[in-house]
Amino acid sequence: MFYIHHTVCISPQNTFLEVDLEQLINCSENKLYAKDFPVDGIPTALLRRMGKAVKLGVASSLPLFKFYDKLDGIIIGTANGGMEDCIKFLNQIMQYEEGVLTPTNFVQSTPNAVASQLGFLSKNNGYNITHVHRGLSFENAIIDVGMLLEDYPDNKYLVGGIDEISTYNFNIDYLCGYVKKENINNNNLYNCNTEGSIAGEGVAMFVVNNNSVGATSKFRALETIHTTDEKELQAVFHKFLYDNLSENESIDLFLSGENGDRRYTSTCESIEAMVNVDVPVARYKHMSGEFRTASAFALWVSNYIIQIQHIPTHMLKKNKQRKETNNIIIYNNYQGFQHSFMLISKNN
Amino acid sequence: MTKVYVSGLGIITSIGDSLESNRTGLIEGKCGIDPLDFFSTKYAESLLFGEIKLSNNQLKDSLEIKEPGISRTSLLALHAMNQAIIDAGLTALDFARRDTALIIANTVGGMCLTDELYQDANQHDVGSEYISSYDCGSVGIFLQARFGIKGIVNTINTACSSSANAIMYGSRLIKKGLAKKVIIGGTDSLAKFTINGFNSLHILSPGLCAPFDNNRNGLNLGEGAAFLVLEGEKDIGNKKIVAEVKGYANANDAFHPSTLSENGDGPFLAMEKALTCADLKPSDIDFINTHGTGTENNDEVESKAMIKLFNTKIPPFTSTKSNIGHTLGASGAIEAVYCILNLLHQEIYPSLNFKEVITSTGLIPEQLYYKTKLKNVMSNSFGFGGNCSSLIFSKV
Repeated sequence: MFYIHHTVCISPQNTFLEVDLEQLINCSENKLYAKDFPVDGIPTALLRRMGKAVKLGVASSLPLFKFYDKLDGIIIGTANGGMEDCIKFLNQIMQYEEGVLTPTNFVQSTPNAVASQLGFLSKNNGYNITHVHRGLSFENAIIDVGMLLEDYPDNKYLVGGIDEISTYNFNIDYLCGYVKKENINNNNLYNCNTEGSIAGEGVAMFVVNNNSVGATSKFRALETIHTTDEKELQAVFHKFLYDNLSENESIDLFLSGENGDRRYTSTCESIEAMVNVDVPVARYKHMSGEFRTASAFALWVSNYIIQIQHIPTHMLKKNKQRKETNNIIIYNNYQGFQHSFMLISKNN
Repeated sequence: MTKVYVSGLGIITSIGDSLESNRTGLIEGKCGIDPLDFFSTKYAESLLFGEIKLSNNQLKDSLEIKEPGISRTSLLALHAMNQAIIDAGLTALDFARRDTALIIANTVGGMCLTDELYQDANQHDVGSEYISSYDCGSVGIFLQARFGIKGIVNTINTACSSSANAIMYGSRLIKKGLAKKVIIGGTDSLAKFTINGFNSLHILSPGLCAPFDNNRNGLNLGEGAAFLVLEGEKDIGNKKIVAEVKGYANANDAFHPSTLSENGDGPFLAMEKALTCADLKPSDIDFINTHGTGTENNDEVESKAMIKLFNTKIPPFTSTKSNIGHTLGASGAIEAVYCILNLLHQEIYPSLNFKEVITSTGLIPEQLYYKTKLKNVMSNSFGFGGNCSSLIFSKV
């Protein structure tokens, strides 16, 4: 579909500026917050008005607009956008009984605030869009950019996924049963055998184009499906493998979206069981936490593993790392009904 | 490259709950903007809204919704989707195919349930029935599950241009072979969130909005939903075709979160790129359904961008927001359906409440109903965050 040239990730782990994934950073109270990050080049007054999601977007991506002379568009996947500002504005509505309110939180709260602030701050008049389809928001951003690059093969686009933990969406996720009732440590996420996961947040951005020169990896295929039927899901994965991998190609890593919620473990394992028994299997949600665009983090980690040819030990679930990691399959499962498969390969 | 055709339409707005009643309302210059009957807000006394005069329970009864947790935004969407799929003759067999997609656009999702959301977001007790219905994705997820859609499912939010971008995304899925049939819908319902948000920006009119009038003083918020079924030319067979999606474009104004740039860079680029996409010249456009919100900023900037593109030969134009108000994430789809009605019946509907020309631009919207020859029509949608999109539909 396209080539990945440049990536940036701000996450609960050491992924920004100096990357070090060996040391797993732990969580408290079932929340994996993104590590503190500097935001450069933004006037303080403007920065103060930005919610966390917008800050994450700006801090990660604005430098890319300086690095590249021209990016031809901004394609963002975010399920909630500026949820914190959204509820802040809602709280104002309730507390002041629909009185005189300031528009800052309202303007910052719209899910398209990240893409639009990036467009505004980089003076980018190109294609600008925000996909908000919950656990498949980032995947739709990928579909979108894939179509754009078919039409405009000489263009370069910024595509990414971003979501924040706010007090409010944590509360709602907790009431939905998405978060574990008992406090756990993320290094024990997969051994709990209870319902729910740990909350996470972060941003992963990618500069992509159709040119293999200088690229780290090739994004080869994506498939999505809404289903709770394991047989149907398996059939989709079977076809995905058949359509996208030639007979002499091996899968060198299966990166599973297991999130420690016992309701979905068996589904993840049934998909995992469809690749050869000797394929290394790794997991990532103990690093990122569970959130609706966690698959963007998974893509970033996969690209990084291809780059450094090393899989951190705490990620591995089964089998040893192979001599070469060339082809990675990422499977994500959001709350048991939104599924995606991605295939990326080392750029040779 | 394969052509993209529209094979079915569905709509509900404050001037009608069907395609026919909307057309009649447009011909008669009906205004569906009036005091609130159902929605509760402090501004019920002082502002006018394009409210659909059906309660949530009436909607649920007519749609036979028994399950809990379905927001008004989803109910309006289901109402319009039912019409569109019947119109296009889609069946369960179509929904179950991996190449049938569903693309939804909205901006408020379940946030119309302000009080419930406030409770659920601020307490640690038991969630309400709407606990998983607040996000924008909830509408598409509800419809996906109800109809068993098995292709690509997506939700787009680019503020007021959301559903124009959904039509663009869906058309591109067909052109790229990622879908053969695409069901597209825009929906939004009245919400304290948007009423107070637009009010805090001082762009709500105390009276009826007056698009392109020199004394315009803001917009009226409305609610509604519209759905379109798109199919590729190779797969549409002998089905009736109501229009062709000829061109589309998305550009960013890159100026300010809630105001358009003085000369309308984003609006100009969106219209110009849509013409390029459609392989048409400005003189090929026979009519424009403008964004035309009735705010001081939008109408002047949109006029300037139209003048820059069309020069002295501005096509006839109207703003149907004078009939139904600004339906936000639904407006792009609703106005697309209105454009297709223009084409199907070869007629132009009057823009309402215009009295005095804007001195700096001098553009006058069409104020009378008349029949005329229309081949290509344009629809503009510009959203907060500078998200500008234009669509072009053509008679088949």
